[in-house]
Amino acid sequence: MSNAATTEEFPGVAALIHKHLPKAQFVASRTSNDVDIRTDPAHLIELVEGLKSRPELAFDYLRNVVGLDMEAEGLEVKYHFYSFAHNLHVQVSVPTPPGNPHVPTLTHLYAGADWHEREAAEMFGLVFDGHPNPKNLLLEEDLRIHPLLKAHPLQKVEILQGIEEPTPGFKF
Amino acid sequence: MSIWPEERVLPLERDGLNTVDMTINVGPQHPATHGVFRMVLTVDGEVVVDCEPYIGYLHRGLEKLTESADYRQAMGWWDRTDYLAGMCCEMAYCMAVEKMAGIEVPERAEYIRVMMAELSRINSHFMFLGAFGADVGSFGTSFIYAWRERERIYDFFEEVAGDRMFPTYFRPGGVQMDLPANCESRVRGLISSIRQGIEDFDGLLTGNEIFVERCQGLAPMTTERAINWGITGPILRATGLPWDVRKAEPYSVYDRLDFEIPTGKQGDIFDRYFVRLAEVYQSTRIVEQCLEQMPGGLVLNPDLPKTLRIDKGECYIRTEGTKGEYGVYAMARGGNKAYRMKLRSPSFSNLAALKEMVVGSYLADAIIILGSLDIVLGEVDK
Repeated sequence: MSNAATTEEFPGVAALIHKHLPKAQFVASRTSNDVDIRTDPAHLIELVEGLKSRPELAFDYLRNVVGLDMEAEGLEVKYHFYSFAHNLHVQVSVPTPPGNPHVPTLTHLYAGADWHEREAAEMFGLVFDGHPNPKNLLLEEDLRIHPLLKAHPLQKVEILQGIEEPTPGFKF
Repeated sequence: MSIWPEERVLPLERDGLNTVDMTINVGPQHPATHGVFRMVLTVDGEVVVDCEPYIGYLHRGLEKLTESADYRQAMGWWDRTDYLAGMCCEMAYCMAVEKMAGIEVPERAEYIRVMMAELSRINSHFMFLGAFGADVGSFGTSFIYAWRERERIYDFFEEVAGDRMFPTYFRPGGVQMDLPANCESRVRGLISSIRQGIEDFDGLLTGNEIFVERCQGLAPMTTERAINWGITGPILRATGLPWDVRKAEPYSVYDRLDFEIPTGKQGDIFDRYFVRLAEVYQSTRIVEQCLEQMPGGLVLNPDLPKTLRIDKGECYIRTEGTKGEYGVYAMARGGNKAYRMKLRSPSFSNLAALKEMVVGSYLADAIIILGSLDIVLGEVDK
């Protein structure tokens, strides 16, 4: 019975991560094809450093960074990691409290995080603390809008032209 | 005395001469940038000392648009990401929707999808071979060789799907319609002409001394650095790591097909070229096997509702696009529209590493290094 409870709490690769990083704090669940590990911004760096440096895990490839607007629940960042050595994959979710979208940067661990984080920052207004070059990437350099927020209207040219206030009800 | 204002003359004393670094803007409208890509290079004589890439000139807000349209309507935008291989993009998008909704795909449709995706891959790789040959200096010939084969493939796409570049042929749950009656003989003819094209390129470039001297040993990338940058696809395989999503995490029917993963040794530009040339041959093998194994039956799941609604779902689909790992993160929270669809495009991550490859090289080589990345700006800029 205890075995079943453990698999429920730590499905798949989460059990392995818990075994090698017993101090890491996370809640595990499943998506359609990945194991999801939920942690908070304060514990992210510790967890990712462990994922990358432990030879039994060796998550050396950051394949994707996703920004998400969960509306009332605040913004969220999802990272997808892959381990070439062991063919493991995991998704790490980092929810941020509403009004405080700060997440530490991973650029010192993964060079490829640079552009991914800049994209998430400009599209959602997330702030990646410690990012070496936090400029707009896809949008114009001086454009201060976050178009992928749910509150941002689709195809509102007046905002781009500076005639209307950007994203009603959201502070920039 | 200097012709420049005083603040522009850097206090660099070299052999008693005052020298100044020069800034050169390349793009966004420049034939060598393969699209609307812009980079600002700082050069010290012939050597590049800094490179600042600028992207976003082709940003169309793909992800926001996808959130605004029905699952089936939004698909048309996705083959405009990697527009050289639209079918590969459609496949990833459809797989994401199918995964969240739990839709089954008929076996015949799976084989048709793989066959069309591999033909798209050949198409895209030929584009690279032609354009890269032109970058390096075989001006017209390689382009014409590539276009001859691409034209045949596009003709076939037109016959199957009704469109050449943006076929919008796949549907969540299968493909739009069955293959035409004379398909098998058409494809076999296509394969033999593609293989002739591979031989032509091999004869034109692989042993060509000018080409080899120009490319060998240029901008070598180690496997560790490539992984750290998130580089995938032919550039990663050129460093010697035989990693391909089709083998590492097989999807569709790739696990039933027999093909090899070509790799290089040094990760230099010549290896990147050669890996792509070898991959074209492997793709022709996959297409042949698809023809042999393809069962009869339906090509579209008949039990689909008129409006696709997904209550809850989350997945990260990864496929081997033509340039590397083409991933789609999808989330559904009810309704007939996706809550979030994020594209992880291979060109985006590969291009991010450009600075590391270009700094320290000669200015003339910077253009070839950019060409060897084989970027598609539709995919970089979303």
